[in-house]
Amino acid sequence: MPKVEFTKHMGIPFKIGQPKKQIVPKTVERDFEREYGKLQQLEEQTRRLQKDMKKGTDADLALSKSAVKISLDLLSNPLCEQDQDFLNMVTALDTAMKRMDAFNQEKVNQIQKTVIEPLKKFSSVFPSLNMAVKRREQALQDYRRLQAKVEKYEEKEKTGPVLAKLHQAREELRPVRDDFEAKNKQLLDEMPRFYNSRLDYFQPSFESLIRAQVGYYSEMQKIFGDLTQQLDQPGHTDEQRERENEARLSELRALSIVADD
Amino acid sequence: MAEHGTDEPSSSTGSPDGEGRDSGDRLLLHQRLAVRELIDTEASYLHMLQLCASDIRSRLQQLPQGDLDVLFSNIDDVIEVNSKFLHDLQETASREDEQVHSIGNLFLEFQEELERVYKVYCASYDQALLLVETYRKEPELQREIQGIIEAAVPQAGPSGLSFLLVIPLQRITKYPLLLQKILENTDPDASAYPVLQRAASALQDVNANINEYKRRKEVASKYTKVGQLTLRERLARINTHTLSKKTTRLSQLLKQEAGLVPRTEDKEFDYLEERLHWVSLCVTETKNNVAVYLANLEAFLRFRPQESELDIPGGPVVQYCSLMGDLQLQAFPDFKQRLEGLVWQPLCSLAKALSGPQNLVKKRLDKLLDFERVEEKLLEVGSVTYEEQEARHTYQALNSLLVAELPQLNQLAMRWLGQILHTFVDLQRDLAKQVLQRAEGSLAQLPHHHLSEPAFRKLVEDVLGQTGHQLRSFQENFEKVLPPPTVQPLLPGAERQVQALLSRYGPEKLYQVTSNISGAGTLDLKLLRGQIVALLQNKDTKGNSSRWLVDTGGHRGYVPAGKLELYRVIPGQGEVKEQVQPPKDSHHLTPEPSPAPVPSVPTVTQVVAVYPFVARSSHEVSLQAGQLVTVLEAQDKKGNPEWSLVEVNGQRGYVPSSFLARAPSPAPWGWSLPS
Repeated sequence: MPKVEFTKHMGIPFKIGQPKKQIVPKTVERDFEREYGKLQQLEEQTRRLQKDMKKGTDADLALSKSAVKISLDLLSNPLCEQDQDFLNMVTALDTAMKRMDAFNQEKVNQIQKTVIEPLKKFSSVFPSLNMAVKRREQALQDYRRLQAKVEKYEEKEKTGPVLAKLHQAREELRPVRDDFEAKNKQLLDEMPRFYNSRLDYFQPSFESLIRAQVGYYSEMQKIFGDLTQQLDQPGHTDEQRERENEARLSELRALSIVADD
Repeated sequence: MAEHGTDEPSSSTGSPDGEGRDSGDRLLLHQRLAVRELIDTEASYLHMLQLCASDIRSRLQQLPQGDLDVLFSNIDDVIEVNSKFLHDLQETASREDEQVHSIGNLFLEFQEELERVYKVYCASYDQALLLVETYRKEPELQREIQGIIEAAVPQAGPSGLSFLLVIPLQRITKYPLLLQKILENTDPDASAYPVLQRAASALQDVNANINEYKRRKEVASKYTKVGQLTLRERLARINTHTLSKKTTRLSQLLKQEAGLVPRTEDKEFDYLEERLHWVSLCVTETKNNVAVYLANLEAFLRFRPQESELDIPGGPVVQYCSLMGDLQLQAFPDFKQRLEGLVWQPLCSLAKALSGPQNLVKKRLDKLLDFERVEEKLLEVGSVTYEEQEARHTYQALNSLLVAELPQLNQLAMRWLGQILHTFVDLQRDLAKQVLQRAEGSLAQLPHHHLSEPAFRKLVEDVLGQTGHQLRSFQENFEKVLPPPTVQPLLPGAERQVQALLSRYGPEKLYQVTSNISGAGTLDLKLLRGQIVALLQNKDTKGNSSRWLVDTGGHRGYVPAGKLELYRVIPGQGEVKEQVQPPKDSHHLTPEPSPAPVPSVPTVTQVVAVYPFVARSSHEVSLQAGQLVTVLEAQDKKGNPEWSLVEVNGQRGYVPSSFLARAPSPAPWGWSLPS
């Protein structure tokens, strides 16, 4: 039976130290950080994109509604009853605005379905990823701790109790190390794959987005082009329009009942 | 026998009377003189005008251009008209006998033009006089002006500028007098006589119209500004006079309402007023709606999804970002700017222009009440004061002004509004065109541009479905990254405890400790790895969600949440496997914080001693290698887990825990050894 200084050993609790050996190679750690860093960046950009798309489409809807209000209010003015020409113009304008609003709503629905919803789905993977990375970190801490313990025993004089402890420590270390290696490998495999999947994921959404916008503006050009024909307005340049506006104002000011400033 | 006296101005043909002919000749002479006077004075008048307009005006450089415009008004137009007039006048001289006739016709011809230019000049004359007064107050300036004038027109005298500026007024009022003089010296039977008569009355009309025009302008400018007065100005305007006016009007209105006095109905005016009201409403509403539209447009342009950096080098993502980026640079700002300049600004000007007439309409109503009261008084008393006459005239002037000009105002306003709305439509069309032009390139480069819209939508739906699956698999893979996989089976004793916790709290509340908890704080528990606890609350009293309140079955206290993992109990089996990650949703627990002392966890376990041990005191017990012992407690009285209380060979005592190994039967939580 070995004579051991029990009190020395047993009275003092073991310190959890850092292992001497670099258990994770620097290159591996660097790779991991790089890949995770890219994903963190992607997470933020995706969140920003989602927010902008949502707010942008809300503003789009509001804009279209306010255009409809212009013609709607005109239509409810009693002048329409007195003046047939005015009524015709305002009715044509109102029809155009309402049609454009309908197209806008459809465009927004399409964007919601093919861009905003998919973005949400993509974002929802990140919490799982972050949790997985945390667990790997936890496993790494455990690994480090136990590795340090093993090393400590390895340094001591090889007595019976020490050997027993060393054996035990090694037994404890093994599963934890395996666990960490497994997690590390899993993440190092999956992270780049997930990152690259964004290419396949976003391209269809954005293609859909472009097509939706182009479709909407095509309708807009047709509807308002037809309307200008219908209203029988000659094409003017902006300078001509400005001159016209000034002429109208002068005409009004020429009247005595119109204040001169 | 009656003699043809010299008093008879007519020259009757067929009475060759020496005296008669004499008087006829004298008449003719006077006529000729009068004509001469007309032409000569016209010439010198024109000369004076030209002096003012060119020499004097150009030398008055120290005055601002705005002042010069007010002083000299439309003197250039006056000069233009009078030059032509003089030229034609001088031409009449060639037609000797017909001259007077021609002169009469000439006046009738020029009547309209004369009225047109002189009314403008006369209307602004008062303002010009005001300016002259202000100059007089500055001696230095006055001297300079005087100097310039005297150099050009010596006979101007000390009154200088005002002397010059009044000349056109004098001239236009002189024409009827001059004509009258010619007329007096013309034979009533002459063919020229009726023409001259008409000319004289025409010029009188001109003067009357000029006066009326002037009066209307004064009335209009007095009342259109009402709405734009500051509060102070408005207060200043209130005095006993205005107050009494208002009370009189109110009583008049009340009398009308009560039916005591008939209301003057003017259907024509009411129609015009109503129309003005609708037109103004139209303009104001449109203006407000356009303002909202512009605000929404601004908001819309603020959000720029294309500025997200997804690190994607090509394809539709890049196409979209560059397309939107370009549109934000050009097409949209252009649209906004054009809207502001060609739709919003004109609407503002139009709305403002309509405010004056609206004020006038209100004022007219006030004046109408005054008018009616005066009319009443006239009926009752038969006479009215000067002031009351003035009130009548003011109303009449205002009323006739509005009736005359409102139709045109309404029409012009509607015409302009229509043009503005047309412009709005044009701008929308132009925006669409610009967007499509730019988008054409992007569209052609899209991978599926050849597909029809329905086909494309189907394709996208399918693709998104597939990639959705892919995402879900990623998510699952990440979720498979589990906490340390070591299995920690339980003792029957522990199992009992777990069952107790299970029945009390339910399976979803059970957690297993993943690593030893040292329990630093007073309310903290000290637990060993593998121990099972039930979750009471997933945050502490301060709301810290990384410190959870748990129940060990015997004691309650706080533990770090990071060291707990949800524990899945498989019913009917003695051993427990599988740890699953905690679900994301929080647990709903009734808070029951209660402090617990450092617990001692009772365990009963069978283990094998790995190494021999010699007891050195009565508290300790000896071991032999390979001996089976029963562990009573896996820590000493102080809670130190390095010592275990065991029973061996009927004796109880402490042994070093590290000397013990797990037996094939389930081991306690403590230092778990691999199975």
